[in-house]
This record gives sequence, structure tokens and C-alpha cells, in this order.
Amino acid sequence: MKIPTKTARILTVMILGLLVGVGAAAQSIHIPSHEKLVLKNGLTVLLLEKHGVPIVSFDAIVKTGAAADPEGQEGLASITAELLRKGTKTRSAQQFAADLDYIGGSFGSDAGADFTSVSAEFLTKDLGPGLDLFSDALLHPTFPQAEADKVLAQNIDGVRSAKDNPQQVLGEYYAGYLFGARSYGRAEGGDELSLKRIDRDAIVKFYDSNFAPGNTILAVAGQFNASEMRKKLEEVLGAWAAKKVPEAAIPAAASVKGKKLLLVDKPDATQTYFAIGNVGTKVNDPDRVGIEVVNTVFGGRFTSLLNEALRVESGLTYGASSQFDSHREPGTFGMYSFTKNETTVQAIDLALQVLQKLHKDGITPEQLASAKSYIKGQYPPSIETSAQLARRIVQNEFYGLDDSEVNQLEARIGAVTPEVARQIIQKHFPDENLVFVLIGKASAIAPALKKYAEKQDARPVSEPGFWPPPTGKK
Amino acid sequence: MRKMCFRSATALVLCAMGLAGPGAQAQEFPVQTKTLKNGMKVLVQSDHSIPNVALYVFYRIGSRNEHPGTTGLSHFFEHMMFNGAKKYGPGELDKVMEANGGSNNAYTTKDTTVYQDWFPRSALPLIFDIEADRIQNLNFDPQKIQSERGVVASERRLRTENNNRGLLSEQLWATAYVAHTYQWPVVGWMSDIEHWTMEDLKHHFAMGYSPSNATMVVVGDVTPEEIFQLCEKYIEPIPAHAPPPPVTTVEPEQLGERRLVVHKRAELPVLLIGYHIPQTNNPDFYALNILRTVLYQGESSRMYLRLVDKDQLALFANSFSPSAFDPSLEQIIAQPKQGVDPAACEKAIYEELERAKTSAITDQELEKAKNIRLVEFYHQMRTISGRANTIGTYEVFFGDYNKLFDAAKNYAVVTKEDVQRVAKAYFEPNNRTVATLIPESAEKGKP
Repeated sequence: MKIPTKTARILTVMILGLLVGVGAAAQSIHIPSHEKLVLKNGLTVLLLEKHGVPIVSFDAIVKTGAAADPEGQEGLASITAELLRKGTKTRSAQQFAADLDYIGGSFGSDAGADFTSVSAEFLTKDLGPGLDLFSDALLHPTFPQAEADKVLAQNIDGVRSAKDNPQQVLGEYYAGYLFGARSYGRAEGGDELSLKRIDRDAIVKFYDSNFAPGNTILAVAGQFNASEMRKKLEEVLGAWAAKKVPEAAIPAAASVKGKKLLLVDKPDATQTYFAIGNVGTKVNDPDRVGIEVVNTVFGGRFTSLLNEALRVESGLTYGASSQFDSHREPGTFGMYSFTKNETTVQAIDLALQVLQKLHKDGITPEQLASAKSYIKGQYPPSIETSAQLARRIVQNEFYGLDDSEVNQLEARIGAVTPEVARQIIQKHFPDENLVFVLIGKASAIAPALKKYAEKQDARPVSEPGFWPPPTGKK
Repeated sequence: MRKMCFRSATALVLCAMGLAGPGAQAQEFPVQTKTLKNGMKVLVQSDHSIPNVALYVFYRIGSRNEHPGTTGLSHFFEHMMFNGAKKYGPGELDKVMEANGGSNNAYTTKDTTVYQDWFPRSALPLIFDIEADRIQNLNFDPQKIQSERGVVASERRLRTENNNRGLLSEQLWATAYVAHTYQWPVVGWMSDIEHWTMEDLKHHFAMGYSPSNATMVVVGDVTPEEIFQLCEKYIEPIPAHAPPPPVTTVEPEQLGERRLVVHKRAELPVLLIGYHIPQTNNPDFYALNILRTVLYQGESSRMYLRLVDKDQLALFANSFSPSAFDPSLEQIIAQPKQGVDPAACEKAIYEELERAKTSAITDQELEKAKNIRLVEFYHQMRTISGRANTIGTYEVFFGDYNKLFDAAKNYAVVTKEDVQRVAKAYFEPNNRTVATLIPESAEKGKP
């Protein structure tokens, strides 16, 4: 299907990938130069040419995600995303799959907390049919009833299947227990009950209200000619009708005060899986680089304090880590590990000791230097492929960040002194206020967990939903 | 595998074989090779697009080389390779590597043990020093052995005891093989994990870790000349010794269907069906790969359209086969939806297999499968770690990395009739083992 070319006023902003003047050029971390343009209909487009492998990667962000799901219909953004390819004005779901697979293309669409992602990859030689497929799903989905029914039923069973694997659902319970029914506390993919409350009308309404060029950022990276790509995109996406979309409001959550513990009972578990922490930080927190450095020392790599204590020195677990899962508003911070039922308390105690020690002793200059070197050394492979680069620039644009995130990274890492690290520990790593979530065999571990928190909650993994328990209200 | 993924920076490409495709040109991705005097072959590919290097060392030793009582030893040994040698003592390898911007991991299969280093170019000599130290002078600290046992037991609980697919897969192999050493899990039986000794470890080291039993692949911001020089300095002086004794046991032909059931608390059942197929370097590799693509890959595949889309019996239906020196298993996995009898999924799978046997796939399907192979080749070639793993895997399992670049013509000559022939040859009821995990409800024993 061809869309007639419209004369679009194109605002082109060239962004040069300036090399950071630190060390040898070959060693400095930088993002390749790319350009930004805004089509007449409001669509923001980022183009990054990267030659070497004949692949083109598309990555679009629609600035509405799971945090905007109506209460009781958790999973709506995610289901809408999944259905984009399941029937368009000119293709059935099956035809879309046939056309996509025939050129070996890949297509993915999913809702995260802050935004919906629609991405695709094709060989450069298949750019024409590839872009046609990508834009067809993004602009012209029809949400056939039969496909919606199938996808909803699939996802309900998908939640059940995930619950058979504790590691897969720990994060859902943890976010739910930390944030409650608000924004980031909701299961992004919904649960067994909320998915049953979603119907086609809700899906169509969600799409119509949120999928619009002015609410979308598209990054294209890979082997192509930028001026030809501009023309193609104007032709295909320039005709996407503009409409007003209110910005999704995400309420920011305050940290949890005091201590509380949720035990999710999985009677057949031979190992306890746990998360301990509190509300974390925003993606664009001014301290983000320092947080990354300190967390690398604390729980972000193999020789981290947590993994050394729980794995290397004691053999209690296969792995222990910590992570800031950051969003537009503060997301989660958690320490994560697992250990056999019998050593559950020993492992949790040890994790808490490591956290206390971080507050008490801070980190050594050697640990700081090592973490800095580690982050710098491991960074280049994270922007190696066209897909990684597209994701990086589109997310930067969404979060209001720019290329200095990459190009100034080395300088910013360098600015993290022991004193800065100390302040970051105080400010961003929880101390006394802690939320505990465990999935394990309650009959074996419950009594010993009383000491961790006065407030204790429990629910069986087999009960529908995550946390809070469904109230049954519509 | 030794580690959980700590960050996504180093995308781990644990690809199955056979994803290379037609149209690929050897000159697009040139490889330089050198065989050291001690027998280790070194393959180098320069790529200066990022200032980093991926260095993989493949040892031709895995759980296939083990014996009852010490199953899982190769994998445990993989862990011990990080726990101290002469120059870099316990814990030092990781500390020094990370402080210099590097990271590492390793994985063990039934056939191989593979060590992976990802690091900035500046760490190049250090990495060679570390690798040489542990290949030559590994130390076995009794305390480390004890604590690492706990780590591996936890890994087993993670991937097997508390993972229904892992658990069922272990049972499938244990049933499909009665003679050959593929019958036990790579991670080992729990009682073996608890009981192997330092003597066992020393014996394993002596058996499997001759430089002549290894292949090194280096891809990234390097030149072949500098890598060969580093090899001459650090690796070549390490003496070769005898390779592992050959695995002579041949699995006898399976003469009838085998079935097994696992009862476990679960939300949903799992269905796993295994068919014996030839080893990786068999000429049927290519036709089998085309068949697998047509049947399982993408939402236009026959199994997806039948089980997931049309009949809505399963959450997914996939198939895979590990790279293998000896005749292996094609494993078909499907997860029945709630309330669906696994037997209904099984029946639909057999009907689709039967369809592939009674009539040839279409021209369109054949062409689609070849296109998908081509794209996957480029997907593997787009990262330095993907290249290192793919080049090494072809070198080890086909005996020649050039087969990666020959895959183009090998796929091009596959006909619809070839695909039909392999469907008939291997997907016979007598050749299959069927494993089902049946959920038990809270009331014990109630289905």
C-alpha cells in the first residue's frame, strides 16, 4: 500500500557525535552521529546510519505505557501492543505473519511501565516491504474480535505459566508490594483476573486515545542512506493523522516507611527467591551515573559486595545482585538472590549485613576505581548493534536526555569521588526502611521470617493476581 | 553456566547451530588461523567497530566424557576454572579482570566447555596471562571446592528442580538414552554434585585440558599478528598431552516409543517429545534445519498456526537441538493451555509431522526458510561475541569454521524432497520419547 507523498515541513537538527577528548580516540565512548527531524504531523524521527551488517532496525516509542492502564484492567496497554500485528486494514494476522516471515523480518511490540515499544528489523534489501509491515501495524491495526479473544486467553495462561517459575514473577510481586495498586505497582502484562476484564472496546479506545504521531518517537538505525530514508518515512508515516493526546500522568511514589514482608507460598519450592529494598530512582536522576558506579560495587557485577558475600565466600547461592529499575518516576531498588529453603534466613541476614556495611564503611578507593574501569570497559558492546543504538537514542529522547549520556559518560564517571559515592549511598540506598518479598515454601520458612518485619503478609502463588490481592471489584 | 547475567552489555549468544545462511560471503568476515606447536588452533577476526574484544576458548570436553557417580563434573570444573591458579589465586581472576574493564562467563554442554572473556582492547595481555595461568597451573583449594558445590547445587535448583521445563528435559534425555553418555544432565545428578572429590577434579583436568583439545577464537579490535604473538608467548609453551579417551558407546536404535510422566505441583502442563537425529556434522543437518524452520519458526510456521492460532491448544510449540558430536535429540516442546489435555497437543503435533512426511513443503515455505537462515546469519555476525561463538561452534562441531561460510551453498541445494525425506527418516513413532509434566493440585495426587 502506498501513501501519497505530502509536502512536510521538516525540522532537521543535526546532532554530531562529538568525540570526548579523553584518551585515545579509539578508546573513547561515543554514539555515532544521528539526526532528528519532526514531521508535520508531529512524529519525531531519529535517524542513525550504521554500516557493516546489512540490517535496519526500527524502534518506536508511543509515550503511553502500562502505568496508564485503567485500574482493574491491568494489561490493557500490553494487550493493545501485542494485537498491533494481529490484523490490519489490508492484512489478516496470518497474512502479516506470512509476509513478515517470508523476508526473515522480526517484529516486537510490548508495553513497559512508561511507554509502549514497537520495534522491527529487516535486511536492508527488504527495506520497502519491511517498512510497509512496520507502518501497517503501527498505523492501521483493526483489532479483530477473534484475535483479541485469542491473545487475551493466551496471556491469562501466560501468567499461569510464569508462576511456575519463581524467578519470573518475583519482580511482579515485589513491585506490587512496594507500590500498591498505583502506577508502577501494577503488573505490566496484567494478571489472570484483570485480563478477563479487558474487551475489544477497551483496546480500540486505548489505541485511538494514545497512538498518534505527536505521541510517538521513531528511531531508525542501521545500514541505509539517511536522505532516502527521510523520503520514505515522510511518504509512509507523514500521512498518519495528527491528533491531540494528553500526556500520561504517572504519580510518583514515596519510599515505604518502616519494614514489611510478603511471603508468596509455593509449596513445591526447594529454594527461596527473595527481593529486598525500597523505592528507587528516576531514569534522569541527576545522580544517575554515581548511582550506577556505586551499584556496580554493591551488587551490579560478579565481584560485587553482595555476590562475594552470598556466593563466592559462602556458597549459599548461584547469584546475588542489586538493581535500580528506573522509570520516568522512581522505580524499584532491590537486592535479589535465592538459596535453598534451609539457608533462607542465613542468606537474607547476610544480604542485610552487606547493606549495613555499605552504609557504615562505604566503598574503598580501589573498589571505586575498579567499578569505573568495569563500566567503561563493558559499555561499548551495549551500543554495538543497530538495534541497541536505536533503542538508546529513542529512550534518551523519551526521557529528555541527550547524547552526552554516552559521550560524556567517561567524564561523568571520573567525577564520582569517594565523597560523592558516600553521599549517594546515604541518599539512594535504603537503610532501615525495607520491603521484603519472598517466594518459597511457606511451611518450611515462614516462622523464621517473623523477625524481619512487624507487618507480615502472605498469599499462595496459585491464587490469581499478584499484589495487592484482587478485591473482585470491577 | 557459571554466572547469572549481571548486565545486558555483553549479550550472551548461546545459539544453537545451523543459523547460518545462504548468501554469506567468507570475504565479508575474513578469519585468520594458526595452529600452535602444542596443537591449539587459534582463529582471529578483526573488527574495529568497537574498542573491545571477545575471546572464547572451546574445550572438547563435556558431560559426554563423564561416568556414573561423577556426572556434572565438567560443569563443576568449569566453575573451578575461576577459583584460583598459581599467579591469580582464589577470587583474583574475577577481581583483576573486572578492575581492568573485562567480564567473563563460561558454559558447559554435553560436548564442550566454553570460556568467554569480554574486555576492552587495553586488557589484551592481561587476559592472555590469566588464561595461560589457569590452563597450566590450576589449583584446587578444598575450601573453594566445598563452597562451589553449594553454588552449583543452587544453580541446579534454579534450572532444574524449580523449573518445570528443565526438570522434564532431564527426564527426557534420561529415558531416550539407555547406553550413551548423553543420558545424564550437564549439571549432574544432585547426589553426584554432593559427592565428587578432589581426585575426580584432578583427573578431569588431566583428561580434558590439553591445549591440543582446545580451540581459541578472538574477535574484535585486534590484529591477527598481535594475537598470534600473544599466543606464542603465553599459550604455546604449555605442553600438550593426551586428549580425552574416545566415547565409543553407540546408542542402540530405539525400537519403540517410550513414555514418561512427571507429577508435580504446577499451574500448567508441559509436553516434551524427543526424536533421535544424527550428530551435527551429518549432511542432513541442513535439511533438518529447513524442516525445523518451516514447522516452528515464526507465527507463519505450521505448528504455530495449528496449535497456537487455529486450534488454540498450546501457549507455544517449538523445537530445538543442541550441537552434538554424537547422534542427538530433536526436542519438541509445547505448553498446553489450561484445561487442554496434553494428548490433544501431542496428536496435533503428530498430524503436522505426518503432513510433512506425506507431502512436500511448498516452494514458498522453502524460500522463506532460506531467507530466515540468511537473516539469522547476519544477526550472529552483528556482535563480536556472536561471531566468536558462531565461528568457534562451526570449527568445533563441523571440524572447519569455513562451513559457516559454506552454509550458503549447502542450504541453497536443499530441495523440498530432501526436507520430506528427513521428515520421514527421523520423525517415526518408534524413534520417539514422550515426556509429560502433569500438574498436581493442592490435594496430593488429584490431577
